Amino acid sequence: MEKCRINIAVIEPSSIVYEGFSTLLLKSGAYFGLFRVNDADELGDFISKENINVVICNPVVFQNRYNDFQRLRKQHVSVNWMALVYSYFDGQVLARFDEVIYISDEIDQIVEKLNNYCSDCHCREEQHEMLSGREIDVLILLVKGMSNKEIADKLSISIHTVNSHRKNIMEKTGIRSLAGLAIYAISKKIVPVDFNQA
Amino acid sequence: MYQTRKTYIKSNMRMFDMINENPLLLLLLEHLSVDFAVADKTISRLCADEGIPEDTFLLMANLYNGFYPAKEEIDKVTDIGLILRLLKSSHTFYKEDKYPEILSYLQQLEKKHDTESIRLIRGFFTDYFKEVLEHLDYEENVAFPYFWALIAGEKALPSGDFKAGEYREHHTDIETKLTDLKNILLKHVTIQDDLTLRRKLLNSLFELEFDLMIHSLIEEKILLPLVEKVEENRLHGKMQD
Repeated sequence: MEKCRINIAVIEPSSIVYEGFSTLLLKSGAYFGLFRVNDADELGDFISKENINVVICNPVVFQNRYNDFQRLRKQHVSVNWMALVYSYFDGQVLARFDEVIYISDEIDQIVEKLNNYCSDCHCREEQHEMLSGREIDVLILLVKGMSNKEIADKLSISIHTVNSHRKNIMEKTGIRSLAGLAIYAISKKIVPVDFNQA
Repeated sequence: MYQTRKTYIKSNMRMFDMINENPLLLLLLEHLSVDFAVADKTISRLCADEGIPEDTFLLMANLYNGFYPAKEEIDKVTDIGLILRLLKSSHTFYKEDKYPEILSYLQQLEKKHDTESIRLIRGFFTDYFKEVLEHLDYEENVAFPYFWALIAGEKALPSGDFKAGEYREHHTDIETKLTDLKNILLKHVTIQDDLTLRRKLLNSLFELEFDLMIHSLIEEKILLPLVEKVEENRLHGKMQD
């Protein structure tokens, strides 16, 4: 498996816990990007912007805000949610998370829990950048300036599918603007240089 | 918000030590027109000599060091004008320094490697620069005069029905395209040789990216909440009249 970086967003109200936790994680030698997020409201934008793979949060943050929690989970399906627990929470609350980290865990155990997640993360492997055939089809039409609707019609797929291809293209290439994608497509010879005039 | 591995700056610390730890603080000093020859002054002394409110300075400096201000700290800021001056000065830094510098590196690169990819990248950047200028002009001609009039408590505000909230919405994808450019250069486009020139180009992009990030944090998280509070008070005051 490629040595890959896991981007972790941490929402933990206590600075003592956050600082201790982050220091241990960064010293563990594993390849983590660590970000502290102030509250749940900030999290949504942040996940997409920083390419977050794992959210570690104190369940208190979502107390009485279960709907927000569900919404965020739905919006970001590829993100893994871990609870950081150092006081009593009901089993039901903890069951909403994919994994639970306890204050008494050894750092090795925590790293292992994080790496477990990483083993089924495809996005960071060597073929990372390789676009699938369908994604290439969508990319070509995108840089020709077609709208999602036009692409969907042209390829006889749903707009929803077009969107998910777009999202994958942006994630795999790391390029989000159309102009940037055009440079990508031309430099990889996916479209000819003079495609604009065609 | 981002990796926090630097000192949390306090008023009794020496500015000189802080610059040594994080040279990006030089940008902050430049934006505030504070000379770099800080001698052995503490932050307190420096702020007093320069006539800058200490609280506000610490808040900004700590932002550069990766510490995100708490709401109470933001509420304490009294000198909104200082923030506006800082933002204005960083506009000058983008317009007259960073973007022309990056453009010149790209032009040098294009001269040496006349390939389609580099022509496209230079074109991408030129278009992008135009967008950035438009955005900065909008801020300077519409948003900032409104903010200045607002904090001065003027009766008639410029810019018609403009409200601070619009400014939030007007924020464009300036950072997105910059990241794209970095990713294109680091991941996708192969260029033979010229490592020195490309390193300079990339360093400029990183420096710009960092300052833009601080810039939008200041705008969105500090300036806007403060200004919206003034708007609210004003509205409230009007209703009491």
